[in-house]
Amino acid sequence: MKAPNFESERCQRIGQNLDAYLRGELPAEAQSQVRHHLETCEACKRELEVRTRLRKAVRLAVESQIAPDELRLSIQRRLRQMQPEQERVRFRQGLVAALVAGLCLLLGAVGIRQLLQVQQGRRLVEGVLALGVSDHIQCAIKGHNYPEVANPPDQLREKLGPQYSGLLAVVQQHLPGFEILEAHICSIPGSPRKYIHFITRGRGTILSVILTRREGEHLPGGGESNSGASAGVRLFEAHLQGMNAAGFESKGYWGFVVSDLNRDATLQIARELAPPLKSSLEAGEESPARLNLGADPSS
Amino acid sequence: MLPSRFGRCECRLPLEMDLFFHPQVRLQDFEAVAMPHFPDLYRTSRILARDPAEAEDLVQDVFLEAWKSFHRFQAGTNCRAWLFKILFHRLHHFRRRWAKAAKVEQFSHPEDGDSFVAEPPVPQEIRDEDVLMALERLPIEFREVVLLADVQEFSYKEIAETLKLPMGTVMSRLSRARRLLRQQLAGVASSYGITGAEHQPSQDESA
Repeated sequence: MKAPNFESERCQRIGQNLDAYLRGELPAEAQSQVRHHLETCEACKRELEVRTRLRKAVRLAVESQIAPDELRLSIQRRLRQMQPEQERVRFRQGLVAALVAGLCLLLGAVGIRQLLQVQQGRRLVEGVLALGVSDHIQCAIKGHNYPEVANPPDQLREKLGPQYSGLLAVVQQHLPGFEILEAHICSIPGSPRKYIHFITRGRGTILSVILTRREGEHLPGGGESNSGASAGVRLFEAHLQGMNAAGFESKGYWGFVVSDLNRDATLQIARELAPPLKSSLEAGEESPARLNLGADPSS
Repeated sequence: MLPSRFGRCECRLPLEMDLFFHPQVRLQDFEAVAMPHFPDLYRTSRILARDPAEAEDLVQDVFLEAWKSFHRFQAGTNCRAWLFKILFHRLHHFRRRWAKAAKVEQFSHPEDGDSFVAEPPVPQEIRDEDVLMALERLPIEFREVVLLADVQEFSYKEIAETLKLPMGTVMSRLSRARRLLRQQLAGVASSYGITGAEHQPSQDESA
């Protein structure tokens, strides 16, 4: 075994890196150099043990302090007292936002496009926008007055009708941690397109699942814009106005998961949800009682 | 051409653009993501504030401040890191007031390199109170990095962002803090008659 030598320059250098090594914050190469050195140098190995013990002792000591429950309760009481004040602030913010929105309308499509934080490719985003998903972002996530308490399942089933009420169970089952607050079939004024819209709450945020019939559109980019596939279902993603949208296609529908969760989380949710939704939708295609969710040919 | 509408679906509330940019943030959503971090925030404050009352004021301030700016918090990002940023922002504000009220205790910092020749071993058996006391005796800027790094286990980058310091400063403070802590703890241990050497038989040969 190599004799321990604290004086050696090598041990000094390793010593400088030991904390970062312990925290796993060294670049891979340096991490493996330290690991290699530790295999042969008893002194540095002991030093590592000491530092590990010190960190642990500090953590345990700090965690041994008890956070008083009365303080937590008193903070929560204060927060409740503050709430009406907060709502007034939000009302003012709402007015400002309304003015901004009005301005956006004036600026028209070009201005709106500049507002979008397009990260995943302009063409794909345009494709998603053309399908009306951005309207739902405004509606369901940024501004929707979703019900505080989830609407009862019977009511949701009725709103969705016999053709789509079966999707409730599919969405609920594959969206663990989210509660369906609302589900309905809706449209955007001025457009004949219809949407099946599920509004869910979980992980401290609101997440929408939006389905709409394909009317021969293709999202641009095709396979190139794939962000990942799940059980053979292609997934697309887009970043819109601070929101992440992950989309998938079935034979007859477009589906989107839209939330302000981060990109990976949104994509992961879409990955879970896309295959079962796709198969349910495709099974529904066979049904003669199909509800037309596409553009109304008469308009 | 893109559709330029900022329309709404039929289900929407009658106010056309009421909350165009701001989600209807609800207190229960805030509490769901923020309150679980109450114990961590309290313990950190307890060690950084001068007494329990001040720590309680500080934690309360953090939550009220966080709720006020919750609409700026991006869901899905790290709520704990966000709350700690607020904590340190408030703390530095508090500290400016304290500094006016009292002269800050001066502490001599060892300026040598990161050689561990001079670093005593950490006793195997040491009481939480001794560690807390040793922590309390560290200059506050060292206490901050130790709490963020060793207790909260934030990365160097996150600590640098939280304390608004360069990463190199964070790393050097952390290494000095560790050295000071070891000196303090060795002092405590020898007062009990425990020496690290009992558990570190090779210290002699290493020195």
